Amino acid sequence: MPSVQERLDSVIAEFADLDGREKLQLLVDFAKGLPPLTAEYQARKAAEDRRVHECQTPVFLWMEADDDGKARLVAEVAPEAPTVKGFVAILAEAVAGRPLAEAAALGDDILERMGLADVLGMMRARGLHTITSRVRKGLLEHAASAPS
Amino acid sequence: MAEYAHPDVLVSTEWVAGHLHDPTVRIVESDEDRALYVQGHVPGAVEIDWITDLQDALCRDYIDKAAFEKLCAERGISNDTTVVFYGDKSNWWACYAFWVFKLYGHKDCRIMNGGRKKWELDGRPWSSERVSYPRAHYTASEQDGSIRALRDEVLKHCKAGKQLLDVRSPEEYRGERMHMPDYPNEGACRGGHVPGAVNVPWPMNCNDDGTFKSVKELEKLYIKELKMKRRSPTIAYCRIGERSSLTWFVLTYLLGFGNVKNYDGSWLEWGNCVRVPIAKGPEPGPIAAVSA
Repeated sequence: MPSVQERLDSVIAEFADLDGREKLQLLVDFAKGLPPLTAEYQARKAAEDRRVHECQTPVFLWMEADDDGKARLVAEVAPEAPTVKGFVAILAEAVAGRPLAEAAALGDDILERMGLADVLGMMRARGLHTITSRVRKGLLEHAASAPS
Repeated sequence: MAEYAHPDVLVSTEWVAGHLHDPTVRIVESDEDRALYVQGHVPGAVEIDWITDLQDALCRDYIDKAAFEKLCAERGISNDTTVVFYGDKSNWWACYAFWVFKLYGHKDCRIMNGGRKKWELDGRPWSSERVSYPRAHYTASEQDGSIRALRDEVLKHCKAGKQLLDVRSPEEYRGERMHMPDYPNEGACRGGHVPGAVNVPWPMNCNDDGTFKSVKELEKLYIKELKMKRRSPTIAYCRIGERSSLTWFVLTYLLGFGNVKNYDGSWLEWGNCVRVPIAKGPEPGPIAAVSA
């Protein structure tokens, strides 16, 4: 099973040679791959404060750990924010089923390496960095509390 | 039914649908999320992005006159083109792009009422085709200082107790919502508002379908309740000048205010300025404390 880093490297390679518009198109494609919340998470969405308040569009994130210490990112992103949705989908695919410590080592340079930082501009890129650090923090908390 | 002060500046989705192939019209999408345009745009529309197209990368300012001329030429916009702006978020960014076009003196700018949301609600088609037009010729005017307020002018305006509108959320206005962990984007050193500013959150201008409220509703809010005067100089601001360009549009074109400026430096500048006073809490606050 490829590591988080290997998965991200392969996504980054997909983005590398595309022009700005094609990069955005690929993000839209990734956004379509983010599964809708299950009934369980729909219920939790109403009961828990999982909204990322820093984001102007509604984004809900759950950083989860399975019983065997494997990471999982569950998310709902409003359809009017395909950039955020696509980026979250990439993170979710990268960490799924990988050990918490490995998943929590998500880098801050993903956007830059995809060449998206320039396409989006600094202010939007910072918003996405917020999401990366949220995910990392949530996974680290699980890693810290998990029995080794 | 009473009409907006400048009704021609607002067009319906129906009008746009009828002018998709009109060579004298260029439709421009401006969004918070750039991927929306790629996903699907009004057929034939070009994109102008508020960050990567309209902002100077080196100086915190708009692109200069030459860069604006180049941008218009590349999008097939000439001086006599009717430019219709629309976008997401009830047309925030569309109004912002409209404002920048006015800054450089473009004559015929319009907003598609309701933006992306209304186009969708009306069941009109989206296109994901690449759009390009033959290069046009464009000559811009020098920046029009009558619609843009810079920091020192805002300070004088504030000291004189003139009409000042803060269009951010009540939490931002009161100064409660400025510490945002992990979000350098909101980086202001102080939370609050410009002393004397009245809080009129931008959504009060809009209906749920993204269209603007009726002239009657807008007059009730600004003229009757807030007792604002159409002839008095007015400055609007928000965090970076995008939401306030929507309010600038409403006051100028829908209500016919004669002298409205957008302070694009907004809270991201004011909340970071050294020796510039702020007010906290729900009240506009004492103007006497301001020493300019």
